[in-house]
This record gives sequence, C-alpha cells and structure tokens, in this order.
Amino acid sequence: MNLKELYQEIILEHGKNPRNLRKTENFNKDAKGNNPLCGDNVHVYLKLNGQKIVEDISFEGSGCAISMASASIMTDLIKGKNEHEAKEIVEDFLGMIKENPELKSENLKEDEKTKLMCLSGVKQYPMRVKCATLSWHTLVSAFDNKREEIKTEN
Amino acid sequence: MNIDHIKKEFPIFDEKIQNNDLVYLDSANSSQKPKIVVDRINEFYTKQFSNVGRSVHYLAVAATNLYENTRTSMQRYINAKDKNEIVFTKGATEALNLVANTLGQNYLKEGDEVLITELEHHSNYVPWHFLRKSKNIKINFAEINEVGEVTLEEIEKKITPKTKIISITHLSNVTGAILPVKEITDMAHSKGIIVVVDGCQGAPHLKLDMQDLDCDFYAISCHKMYGPTGLGVLYGKKKWLEELPPYQGGGGMINEVKKDRITYGDLPNKYEAGTMATAQVIAFDQSIKFLESIGIENIMKHEAELIEYGQELLQKNNSVKLLGNPKNKGGVLSFILEGVHPHDIATILDEDGVAIRAGHHCCQILHDKLDIPASARASVGVYNTKEDLDQLNDSINNCKKIFNLK
Ligand SMILES: Cc1ncc(COP(=O)(O)O)c(C=O)c1O
Repeated sequence: MNLKELYQEIILEHGKNPRNLRKTENFNKDAKGNNPLCGDNVHVYLKLNGQKIVEDISFEGSGCAISMASASIMTDLIKGKNEHEAKEIVEDFLGMIKENPELKSENLKEDEKTKLMCLSGVKQYPMRVKCATLSWHTLVSAFDNKREEIKTEN
Repeated sequence: MNIDHIKKEFPIFDEKIQNNDLVYLDSANSSQKPKIVVDRINEFYTKQFSNVGRSVHYLAVAATNLYENTRTSMQRYINAKDKNEIVFTKGATEALNLVANTLGQNYLKEGDEVLITELEHHSNYVPWHFLRKSKNIKINFAEINEVGEVTLEEIEKKITPKTKIISITHLSNVTGAILPVKEITDMAHSKGIIVVVDGCQGAPHLKLDMQDLDCDFYAISCHKMYGPTGLGVLYGKKKWLEELPPYQGGGGMINEVKKDRITYGDLPNKYEAGTMATAQVIAFDQSIKFLESIGIENIMKHEAELIEYGQELLQKNNSVKLLGNPKNKGGVLSFILEGVHPHDIATILDEDGVAIRAGHHCCQILHDKLDIPASARASVGVYNTKEDLDQLNDSINNCKKIFNLK
C-alpha cells in the first residue's frame, strides 16, 4: 500500500479547494447520495440544454479528501459532455476503480484521463472505494431523475 | 498490573498487521480476545459439544451446566440479586430491543414519553423509535452540556408527568462521559419512572453493582468485554422479567403448547428462545474470569491514567480538537483534526498499524448537535500502553504532514 499514491498532490488540492462546490441556478436535474456508514453526503445538480448537453454541473456536500476530490474532478470533466458521453465516462471510471488498469473511454482526452487516474490509488484501499464512487453513482441517478437517495451500501 | 504480561495473553499482538506491530485503539467498537477465550471455544467444539437444555445424554447435561455456570459468573460479576435476572441475547442491541419491545407491548400507552439523551447509540434510540411509530409514544432528548456530558439536573428538567421510561447510556462511546446513573435512578424511581441503561461501554470499564445502581434494566455487549461476538447480556429486575411478556417465541421458552393455548417457561428460559450462542456463552465465562483475575479496580486505574495521558498529549497537539471534556470520563478519546476528514485520518493511521474508528460511531444525533459529520475515535482497553498513545500522536502528526498542516 502506498499513502503517497492515495493522497497525491492533485487529490489534496481538489479536496481542499473543490471545483463546482455550489448549487447550479436553474438546475433541471439533481440527486442526493449518502454513505450511511461514514456520514458522507453529496447532492449533484445538473443543467442540461435542449440537446442534453451538460451546460452546468455542481455539487454540495461534505466528505473526506477522496470523496471531495472525486466529485470535484468529476464535475470538471462532465461539463460540456452530453448525457450519453457522461454515462459512458462514469462506466469507464467505475470499471477502472474496480478492476481495469486504465481508462478506455473515447470521450476523455488524454490529460483528462491522467487527471482521473490520480484516483486509482483508491483501489488498494477497499474501504475507501465507496468514498471515490459516491458522487459518480449520484450523477447517474441525477440523469435518470431517480428520486431515491443513492446509498453506497447497495 | 503488568501490561506486558496482559498483552501476551492476547495472541493478536503477536501478529504483524501489514508489517507493523498492532496499536489497537478500537476497543470501544470491539475488544480483542485473550487466548483463554479463543481456546475455550475450540475446546468446547472439539471435546464437549452438545446443545443445551434439551437432551438428557451426558454431553447435553455437561454443556447445560457449563452454560449455566456463565450465568452464575455474570450474576457475581455485576452483583445481581438473582441468577435468573441474567438473560443471554445476541448482543446489547438485541437486549435493548427486547426491553423496548416488551415494555411497548405491556406497559407503554399512547402519549407516554420515553426520555433518552443526545449521547445515545442508535441501538438505544431506534428501538424506541419503533414504538413512536407503532404506539404513538413520544421520545424526548436530554441535552449535552458544553463539555459533552448529560447531568442529573438536565434529566430532571426533561421529565414530564408523562415520562414512563428513562433510557440512558452509562458511558458515552463518543465523549466518554460517565453518567450519574445511580443518582438518576434514585430520582427516577421517586417519580415511578423505569430506568434502562445501555451499559455497553460501562461494562468493560466500570465496576458494576446492579443492586447498588438499582436500575431496572442494564444491557451489556460481551464482545466489548474481551468476549466472543454474537453475545450480549440483559440484566433485568426479576419483577420486570416475570411481569413482561416474552420477546421471541419458539423452542426452549415454552411451558406447555396446545392447539388452543400456550404457556411460557419460567425465567430465564422465557427470554432465551431457540438454540442460543452456546459456545460463546461458555467461552464468555473465561472473559469474566480474565477480568476478575486482573480486577476491575486495577483496570479502571490503568485506563484512567491512559485517558489522562492521551488527553494531555492530544490537547498539546495544535489542530487536534477533542470532543467533550467531561469531569467523569472513561475509555475513549474522540477528536477531529481541523482540515482533515476523519476517514482520511483513519486510513493514514492504519498505515502505521494504528487502528482507530472514524465515522459517527452510530451516534448521528450527537454529531448533528456538535455540527460535524463524523469524528475520529481512539479507545483503550486493558492491553494499551502510553506508548500506544505516543504512536497515535506521531501518526496524527504524519497526517498533518501529508495534508500540509502546521
Ligand atoms: C454505547 C453502545 N450501545 C450499543 C452498542 C451495540 O452493541 P452490540 O454490538 O452488542 O449490539 C454499542 C456497540 O457498538 C455501543 O457502543
């Protein structure tokens, strides 16, 4: 195990100064997620335009450095993507966190992949995987307009 | 009291945990097990196993006697008046559910009030919440003061003419506050109110005397007392256990079963339906003997020194903020680190072999009150030393370094 891999500078930086930590005005989709075991929670807001492109995305919530950084990086990457692309990126991210050695998505540029791979250190810490994935599951739920809160237990 | 010798009785400390010596500071969650307890489980299964209380063959009779021996030991350990006031359950959670459920069936009426505190573990809140839904009772909360304790005066203030039950923790698993249970019980009884105590953290850390404490019910978790998991004890005053209805139905708890009527068994069988955690009960006798061999007074003195030492150490560490500073404190040091989430703390400490807990510790009401989502908690047991707390402090400093804190 390697703490340096888990707590890379970029994670600490995003954790400390999360991007898009606010509430989108005139959002048209949103969902809440929480992690009952540790009390982490996140609320994701989306503003989609007529072509289902994410015009704005933001989140509110509190959590550890990993979950805040993950939500922060996610919101940065998803802005400007359409729903289909966004969901494909989520799939790719979740696959990488679970087992895949790298990201495969064609909807991510190389520098975006590099940024996202900073979260791969979490793989070695099974108890922390849900910290990294909560906001991503919540994003899908927001797209699908699910009214139920996402719980990482499920 | 020689901690080196005591520590040697716990095989886990011979293990390397990810190449580190184990610094176990999570005993409030569950304590480690001495070898005699582990061996007893093995011995029972390999040489003496039988179910208890049913068959008449040799093994069954011997196992039944062993099982009942633990009841007698527990009676002695907590100074209960009667052996049948000891009921085995699957944990403190089940003990508290048993109390809430049976009092709910027979005793509480719509509009009655149960008074708990903001310190309570979810297992001393949710079972009462069930009654709030099913019976329309009301739950009131006695509040913590600025040092994280609940005083006798605060409890008294929250009592109304409708208060029927006071259900409180003996020792908070977050702030470490020790509640004045004896005084609260005296006051409550003078008003005809039943007192239920969640003794999960009290039992491993405090001298227990049920006849002196005089509470009506006391719930204990054996796995926090150097005993096996899957086992708890409910102490209940005989008059209540006789008067209240059974909790679960099944084999072992009945007297006579006919197509049109059923009568229930006497205590303690009435509350021990089905096959119980036999091996755990029998092994738990060794945990009681282990505690008795050291002496609870010695354990209390040792742990008080540890907590005082740890508290001073952490208070000196800037960025660390301790949760609660009660006058009477035992067992736990909960803290937050300005700028680092408790989960990050726990992961970083784990890398040094320091096992603590992070989260809300099943006390969300308390964390809401303190306006924090989670906290980190180091808790001690007989095997801990001041060096363990030094290591805790060093590892906290490593956290600060990783997070660039001063
Ligand atoms: C104060 C308190 N009450 C209740 C419980 C639940 O006990 P058990 O695990 O035996 O069900 C715990 C343990 O987590 C506790 O610390």
